[in-house]
Amino acid sequence: MSRNLVELVRRTHAQRAPTALEVLKAALEDHGEITDEDRREAARISGLPEAAVYGVSTFYDDLAVPRGARHVRVCTGTACFAATADAHVSALRDGFGLDLGERREDGSLSLAETVCLGFCHSSPAVRDGDLIDAGEGVVERALSGALRAAREPDWRSLLEPAILTRPGDWSGLRAALATHTPESLLGEVKAASVRGRGGAGFPAGEKWSFARGAPGAEKFIVANGDEGDPGSYIDKQLMERNPALVLEGMALAGYAVGAEHGFVLTRSEYPLSKPALEQAARQAREQGLLGDDIRGSGFSFDVTVLEGAGSYVVGEETALLACIEGLRGTVSARPPFPAVSGLFGLPTVVNNVETLANIPFVARAGADAYAALSPGASSGSKLVCFNERFANPGVYEVRFGTSLRELCEDVAGGVRDGLALKALQIGGPLGGILPASLLDTTFDFDQLAAVGCMVGHGGIVGFDERTDMRELARHLLHFGAAESCGKCFPCRIGLRRAHEMFADGRAVERARLEELLEALEVGSLCAHGGGMPAPIRSLLAHFPDELGLT
Amino acid sequence: MRVAVDGREVEVATGATLLEAVRAVGADVPTLCFDERQMPFGACRICLVGVAGAPGPLPACTTPCREGMVIDTHDATSRRVATAIVELVLSELPVAPAAHTELARVAASLEVGEPRWRGATHPSDHDERHPYLAFQHELCISCARCVRACDEVQGAFALTATGRGFTANIAVGLDAGFLESTCVSCGACADSCPTDAITEITLLSL
Repeated sequence: MSRNLVELVRRTHAQRAPTALEVLKAALEDHGEITDEDRREAARISGLPEAAVYGVSTFYDDLAVPRGARHVRVCTGTACFAATADAHVSALRDGFGLDLGERREDGSLSLAETVCLGFCHSSPAVRDGDLIDAGEGVVERALSGALRAAREPDWRSLLEPAILTRPGDWSGLRAALATHTPESLLGEVKAASVRGRGGAGFPAGEKWSFARGAPGAEKFIVANGDEGDPGSYIDKQLMERNPALVLEGMALAGYAVGAEHGFVLTRSEYPLSKPALEQAARQAREQGLLGDDIRGSGFSFDVTVLEGAGSYVVGEETALLACIEGLRGTVSARPPFPAVSGLFGLPTVVNNVETLANIPFVARAGADAYAALSPGASSGSKLVCFNERFANPGVYEVRFGTSLRELCEDVAGGVRDGLALKALQIGGPLGGILPASLLDTTFDFDQLAAVGCMVGHGGIVGFDERTDMRELARHLLHFGAAESCGKCFPCRIGLRRAHEMFADGRAVERARLEELLEALEVGSLCAHGGGMPAPIRSLLAHFPDELGLT
Repeated sequence: MRVAVDGREVEVATGATLLEAVRAVGADVPTLCFDERQMPFGACRICLVGVAGAPGPLPACTTPCREGMVIDTHDATSRRVATAIVELVLSELPVAPAAHTELARVAASLEVGEPRWRGATHPSDHDERHPYLAFQHELCISCARCVRACDEVQGAFALTATGRGFTANIAVGLDAGFLESTCVSCGACADSCPTDAITEITLLSL
């Protein structure tokens, strides 16, 4: 990222002025499209050059699509694909007579694609304004203008007592301020081996140590709530149903690292997340649990909640920071790592919101109790979620070390309607695909890695026996190509070419495909281009006869 | 600190990149997004090298040297992937790059043949509104050297990356041409461009 632009943004932030992205989003809300006048205004307010603002306005999905008086967004996530094979998308296109990304000439209606709305327990999902409907009959209701709010999913723990679904009560922060120094809290988190829950599985305590040791008086905690994985709605439920636990985890991270301010970035696809977090922050301030000199401890911490604008890659930590800064959400080469040079060029911890939600328990109960939650497996517990193909979809807190068969059959109730399970995609679009024959694999970091899969973020998307695996490959590569940030060459061009190989209906030359996958895996700058081959490799390994290969 | 490149030891300053070490011993790896006047960017990924003990090839331009590193510029995986990436780049252009351009020279040095993957190319889009600077957007490979020249060298901030994924490109100002932007007509963008997407018209007409 340009040092000069980051410095301009830092100055703007110091004056508490909105970022260019915030100004552009407000303009879009106000009049449905972004004009050059809006861009000039955004440049003036944010202090960014006009060209940089133009670049921002062409990066994010939300900003690039013109909106009609009625703006309908159809979810094209993987759970919706598993439910309908994208029949809901064509039905809406035909019904409205609009292609995705188009607006009626009279401005009355616009139709756009969105990935994903996080109603994977009740696919397919459609959004009209801020109203999200999902499930059977949603297409007819959308076409007749009679959408209703979708029901929320189950949200419960299989642990007794619950850790992550237990409403946050700030007891971890109270305990830490009473019994821990920042150093001893950091030691406890390291001892607890809290691994990142956002996908990469990096030890949180290590990240915190780097940031704590980085030179600089001003440091930040950033909670990554940009849960872009299609088929995952874990962070959505966490932020909307247990926001206080996330904020408490951030405050604890701030205490351990020496940061006095935190930012949460939520997704615009989740219109309820930002208000829920803001309300929880207001309540915490009223109770003296956020703000200056918390409970007379001398420790001050507060948070700002921001919302993205439609981009999967913004979930990558350097892109996330660029988005918070109001810039294009493209990935930057590391080093420097955010722990040394992050938000506004200052030391920053970036943790997934679920990772942070683990911290209050560690602070309250200690590392040993945390490790004991999943005996003989990775420390702590994990939230997993299941898509609509299962009989009992929802978000569940489970122990590591459970088998996928137990999770899919006992917890989620098996595939609905008496259909057989064909395969699972675990942990998001960069995760491998597990055939039903490997269902006895254990849900844990190392065991999943051994079969080309990953815990990732914990979303479990089941595909039933009717799923066309070549169509699944096309679906995944469409997503991969559309969401490439466009910075590194292998991902920018390679994912487009991989999608083209599957999209044109012709036979796919296996050797040529595998040479392309290698270029993506080895060459890509971030996990998006590097990881998109994983599910394709799985399909090649387990379902070669269904892919139309030569 | 000392590192070894292709069996030759060399002393490099703290913070030096693998690319600096490679060039210090007189070896070379191809680059497309690198311009020594600018901060390393790490976008083209063709400067990959092998490093003993690393799980896979590393980009030479953005990876810092560490004491005792053993660097291999002939690493087979690195060169194979670099060649594939240059093929991909050639496949996105509607016409072959002119022989004198950096892209054509890099492709020749890697002996890149016919791209193995063909598909959509960038649509033709010529902007010749400026008297000295011409922009052929279809030749743009999004290396952002022009953007960084304008930002880091000239300080005019007239250019930006646009779009994302395969449709990524470069725009001037609010995409209304050089004359309607903060461009000072210095030509630093054209000077750095490896494909002749941005050219100085006077040079072309000589």
